[in-house]
Amino acid sequence: MTPGRAAIVEGWPLFLTSVFIGIPYGVVARQAGLSIAETSAMSLIVFAGAAQFAMVELLRSGADAFVIVLTVLLINARHLLMATALRPFVATASLPRRLGLAYILTDEAFALGIGWFRRGHRDLSYYTVFGAVLWCCWNAGTLLGATLGAGIQDPQRFGVDFAITASFVAIVVIGIRHRADAIVALVAVLVAAALRLAGASAAAVVIAGALAPLVALALRDRSA
Amino acid sequence: MTFWLTVLAAAIVTYITRSLPLAVTLPGHAPPALRRYLDALPIAIIAALAGAGIAVPDAQPTGGAEIGAALAALAVAAWRRNLLFAVIGGVLAAAGLRAAGL
Repeated sequence: MTPGRAAIVEGWPLFLTSVFIGIPYGVVARQAGLSIAETSAMSLIVFAGAAQFAMVELLRSGADAFVIVLTVLLINARHLLMATALRPFVATASLPRRLGLAYILTDEAFALGIGWFRRGHRDLSYYTVFGAVLWCCWNAGTLLGATLGAGIQDPQRFGVDFAITASFVAIVVIGIRHRADAIVALVAVLVAAALRLAGASAAAVVIAGALAPLVALALRDRSA
Repeated sequence: MTFWLTVLAAAIVTYITRSLPLAVTLPGHAPPALRRYLDALPIAIIAALAGAGIAVPDAQPTGGAEIGAALAALAVAAWRRNLLFAVIGGVLAAAGLRAAGL
């Protein structure tokens, strides 16, 4: 089996998942008032699921551009660690090729790519094929959701306005890997909810989120 | 116009986080505390947005339907590990609870 074929065979559950997350993203973006072009443009050039959901919510609530870009940076800063871990495996590739590989770096591509390289392979086409197909699936799901999302009338009555908050809840629950994650998430939920009830801005909510991981550091230091 | 500049800026900062370590050799290693912080950051920010959305949907403090719907989304996400199903569960619960007068 060629590396590209192996990427398809091993990656297909993640491709499906990408389509199925792209659909609700497209729906909530349309509900937030974005056009199909605007919704799709974000998937085409930002290509980062959790950050795009956050952008939609912040755009909807009228947060200013600086807060939105800062939030995206904080959510995506984890890529720095993933790219650093990938670096030794792609060191021999040319700079333009490495810049191309960077564009398709996602949590999923990192997980599968690192797995491939750790099995002793040095061929880059496994990672490249996986990342490119995942990008296509994410954009197909987005377009599908954006098209469906425009047709929903009276969103409040059908609870569709709640879709974005439900997405956040699901992203967190599915993303929890250990107890420290759950504690950090709970702290962030409670502090942000309290701040919001007290009338705080979107920026304050993001800052509360950025401070919550310090709890994880404190827990770790105490148990260490 | 602001929308497009915001999206472009978001795309650029995202691409920088992906490409910087592949384009240049960064000096030294990230300290473990920084690694753990960056590792927990995405979940914390998304959780904060969830908390804000549950407490105050559409500029109105919740009447309880959103809390119930969030718990429904949480239960489906924990059970099926599937975002689409969890969103559908949350939306249906929100519609049902609002119809019930919450």
